[in-house]
Parts: sequence; C-alpha cells; structure tokens
Amino acid sequence: MWEYTIHLFKEYMGTGLIIGWFLLSAGYLWFTEKQKHIRILFIYVPLILLILFFTPVFANIVYYFVGDEIYYRILWLIPVTVVIAYAAVRIYGTLKSRIRILFPVAAGLLIIYSGSFIYSNPYFNKADNIYHMPQAVVDICDAIEVEGREVMAVFPVEMLQYVRQYSPVVCMPYGREITVERWGNTDELFAVMESEIIDAQDLARYAKARLCHYIILSQDKEIAGDLLSYDYILFDCIGGYDIYLDTTVYIGF
Amino acid sequence: MVMQMVKIVQQVLLMGIWLLVIPAIVGGIVAAGVDKYKRNFPFLWITGQILLWALFQLICVPVILKGVEGTFPQVLNYYLTATAVLMIPAVILTIRNMRDRKKIFHIVSGKDNNKRLYHIMWGIFWILLLFQVIMAGVMTYADGDDAFYVAVSTITEESGSMYLRLPYTGGSTGLDTRHGLAPFPIWIAFLAKVTGMRTVIAAHVAVPMVLIPMTYGIYYLIGRRICGKRHRERLPIFLVFTQLLVLFGDYSFYTAENFMIARTRQGKAALGNIIFPMLIFLLLIILQKIQENQRVEWMWWCLLCSVIIAGCLCSTLSAFLTCLLIAAAGLCAAAVYRKWKLLIPMAICCIPAVCYALLFLKLA
Repeated sequence: MWEYTIHLFKEYMGTGLIIGWFLLSAGYLWFTEKQKHIRILFIYVPLILLILFFTPVFANIVYYFVGDEIYYRILWLIPVTVVIAYAAVRIYGTLKSRIRILFPVAAGLLIIYSGSFIYSNPYFNKADNIYHMPQAVVDICDAIEVEGREVMAVFPVEMLQYVRQYSPVVCMPYGREITVERWGNTDELFAVMESEIIDAQDLARYAKARLCHYIILSQDKEIAGDLLSYDYILFDCIGGYDIYLDTTVYIGF
Repeated sequence: MVMQMVKIVQQVLLMGIWLLVIPAIVGGIVAAGVDKYKRNFPFLWITGQILLWALFQLICVPVILKGVEGTFPQVLNYYLTATAVLMIPAVILTIRNMRDRKKIFHIVSGKDNNKRLYHIMWGIFWILLLFQVIMAGVMTYADGDDAFYVAVSTITEESGSMYLRLPYTGGSTGLDTRHGLAPFPIWIAFLAKVTGMRTVIAAHVAVPMVLIPMTYGIYYLIGRRICGKRHRERLPIFLVFTQLLVLFGDYSFYTAENFMIARTRQGKAALGNIIFPMLIFLLLIILQKIQENQRVEWMWWCLLCSVIIAGCLCSTLSAFLTCLLIAAAGLCAAAVYRKWKLLIPMAICCIPAVCYALLFLKLA
C-alpha cells in the first residue's frame, strides 16, 4: 500500500519540476507571508493534506471505501497553481526597475521549461468534425441507424469508445470495457475481430450468436473466407470500412 | 442550408443563455446578500452557475434514485420550474444591480495602473484565453472515459432514462447508483435537450468552451482577493502565470490542469478546476472576515454549502474531498485564530456532502 501511494505521488509529480516549484513557493511564503488566512490555505492546509496522503492508516481507510485508482485526487485539493502564481507575483512585488519587468518573462519561461505543453500530447488531434468523433464513426452510424429501433453492430476496436457517444441507438456486443486490461473482460467475438487474420466462419458464428445486425470491418483487415457465404451482404463501404448486414436477422427493412 | 444555419444560430444562442445569461442573473441573488463585495461579472456568473448546479443536484438525484424508466422529462420539468422561480427574485435584484453596471463589467481597468506591463499582461491573458477556447472547439482529446460519461448523456437525452442503460454497449441494466449520485452527464443532457444541440456537441464543444473561461474566472476572483486593492497591478501577471501552469500542465496525466483542458466535459474535471478553486476563494473570504472580526454574511455560508452540493453533482468522491478540505481549513483556522466556534457553520455546510456520502455507502 505504501509503495502504491509513493507510486501514485510519483505519477502525479510527473517530471517533478512543477511540484518542486510549488514546494519552493510554499517555503517562500512560509517565511514571507504575514496574512494568516493566506498562510492557512496556501501553507498549512497543503501540508496537512500531504501528511494525510502519505499516512498509511488514512490511505487504507480511503482505499477501502473508494478504491485505490482515484486516491491521487486528494492531491487536487492542494492549490499548486495558485500558490506558485501567488509566490511569483509576491517576488515580482519585491523587485525594482528593469529586473521587475524581466522577472515575469523569466518566470514564465521557467514554467514553460518545467512543464509540458498540453496540446502536444499525442492524444490531442485536430477534430474531424463538430462532433469531435472520427468521421468514419459518424458516417457509419448514420448509415446503419434504423428509425424507431436499436440496431446491434460489432465494430473494430479503434471505434469502440466513440460509437455510443454519437449514437445511442447503435448497440454493440462489447464496448470500451473490453479494451481496459485491468478490468479483465474477455469476449470470444472480440478475440475473433481483433485476430491478425479473421476467420469468416467464426466471425459469422459469434456475431449471429450475439444477434448482430451488422459487422464493420476495416478494409485493411485480412479475412480467411468470405462473409458473403454466411448470409451476409455488403451493405456499404464508408471511410475505409466495409459494413456487412446479416440477412437472417430482421431489422425492419 | 439557410434553415440549418438558423437552427445552429438558435442552438448557440440558447446555449449562451443557459450557460452565461441565466447564471449571471441568478448570481444577483448571491450579490444581494454580500453587500460589500464587488459585484463583477465573473462573480455573478460563477456564483449563479454554482447555485444552479446545486439546484440541479438536489432535484436530479431523488428522481434518479426512483430507478424508473423515462424520468428524465420529470427532471427537466422540475428544474425548469425551479429555475423560473429562482429567476423572479434574480431578475429584480439584477435590475437593481444594473445601477452598478459599470462596476459589473469593470474587470480590467486602465485607470488602476498606467504601466505598460500591466496592459501587456492583460493582453496576453485575453489572447491565451481566446486560444484555449478556440482549441476547445478545434482540437479533440481521445479519452476512454468519454465512452461512459458522454454516452450516458447521449442515452439520457434520447431515451429519457437515466442510468438504466448500459452506456458501453446498450441494453437495459439495474440502476447504476454509484454514478447516479453524481449526475453531471445528466446536466449535459439537459443542456442538449433545452437547446436542441446534439448531445455529443454540447459535451465536447459547448461545455468546454464555457467551463475553461469559468476556471480562469475563479482564478481572477482569487487573484483579486490575494493581490488586494494596493497591488491590483499584479493581478494580470498572476493570471498569466496560472494560464501557463495550466497550458504546460501536461507533465502528468493525473493533474487537475490536465483534466481541465483534456477532459473538461467530465464531472471530475469540473470538480478539480471549478469546485476546489471556488472553495479556496470562499475560504479566503470567510477566513479573512473571521480574522478581522467582521461578520460573515449568511450568504457566504449558503454559497459554501452550494459549492459543496455542486461538487456532489460533479463526482461522488467530492463529498469526501470537499469535507476533507473544509475540515483541514476549519481546524487550522480555529487553531490559528483560537475561534473554535467557526467550526459550527463549516460543519453545517458539510451536512449535504455527508448525506450524499452515506447514500453512496448504503446504495453503491
């Protein structure tokens, strides 16, 4: 438990530089800040919270009730951003003339160097559309929706997290939960869909067992066999994906 | 094409009304109870939104806990009615406050200080803010948790049922009490319903474009408080530093700053970037008043309580975290000021959070 708490704190710290600046800022305020209400909120309370965070008894209690994955959110109570910014303007206030003008520039550059630009995160991308969904997901969902009813479709893994954000009437035999390893979910249909070479007979069998109206496959995916031999028709081709419709399952057409 | 444009403009206007105008008017109720405090637009807007979130939480959770299909329209009706009732005194008070309308929009003042750096820093602040708002619209962050939270919003808006459908796959399920006690996605579904905007757009575009400025609005309020009237020229420098710390806050996946930009549509992001800073702001005011032996107007305690309830809307963990912060701050203040009585109103403000925590333990 102790090791996990340390691990969580290290994960929260990242490179450690910003937290380092926070500790220095809090230390500076300890010696210079006279206003008690600011000392309480910017020095004493963060100190108490940090002590609690690392206290095994406290950690055990919290883990018991809320789990260990989100224990790090206690650290959100510490006003890191406000303390660093406040300490910086206090230092600015003590400086004179030209140094005073250069200080915000220097401090700003230090913050930039110490952190990491959020928009350079690889998970950030230019949005394809106003929905902030991959365009292929939008187009496929629009194509397979049937008015007045829900449809069941099996999607490739890269689409799983988007489908039901866009369309609540397109259901899936498995969703994003299958991709999170630590949740330990398994699914035979998923295993077939994500195998290197898909066996068409197995895919058809598992998809029919799950009452899937549609199978969506990437055109780059290699398939052994032909879904058309198993009562499927090629419904549409959209955005690099083939949509197969099971003709044996009533859908309302 | 023209009809589509008209529809889009209508949706944007309605979203602006629900996320900007109505909260700012409701904030007039708070401003009326805190006479001596500067009634500027960020204060009115943010306190109004906090009150509305608290109201939504109080209305929505009991309906969710009924566990009956198709009850989202009930939430809509109750909340719209409650908001309309709240608007009556709010409009009257806002009209009265409009006498001070120059002060309401007195966010930046060239009269405070003529130094060039002051104006440059304000310019940088507004440019960086505009940059972040635009990026919220044009950039997307692929977060797996959206598959749950945004899907809940989409399902709710379309089917009218709350937490009775499996968000990842579809199909019915038993009531998801754990998430139902923090129905931030239902609030997003509400916005989508009343504006006609598609839920996924409301979640990924509209809400971030408003909540990001709201966060800086709170930093503005905090900055005004701690810089004071004597050092008002430091306020834009403080704000630019906060922006840089946020923009370069990707040094860790776990920081509140990362959540603020990347996952604004999720309740936990609102918790870390709006609720907690708002608590810090309120505690700064309350503790300073106690320190200076001034009376703490009852409206500040109401607002503190509202922030705690609004926090419960954002996350089930909020009940624990907000109480932890209040307890730590309260005990420190009581010891420093030797005024143990201040713990009483603080404890009373935490009662709603304790109730939600007990509900969570009992049901989830």
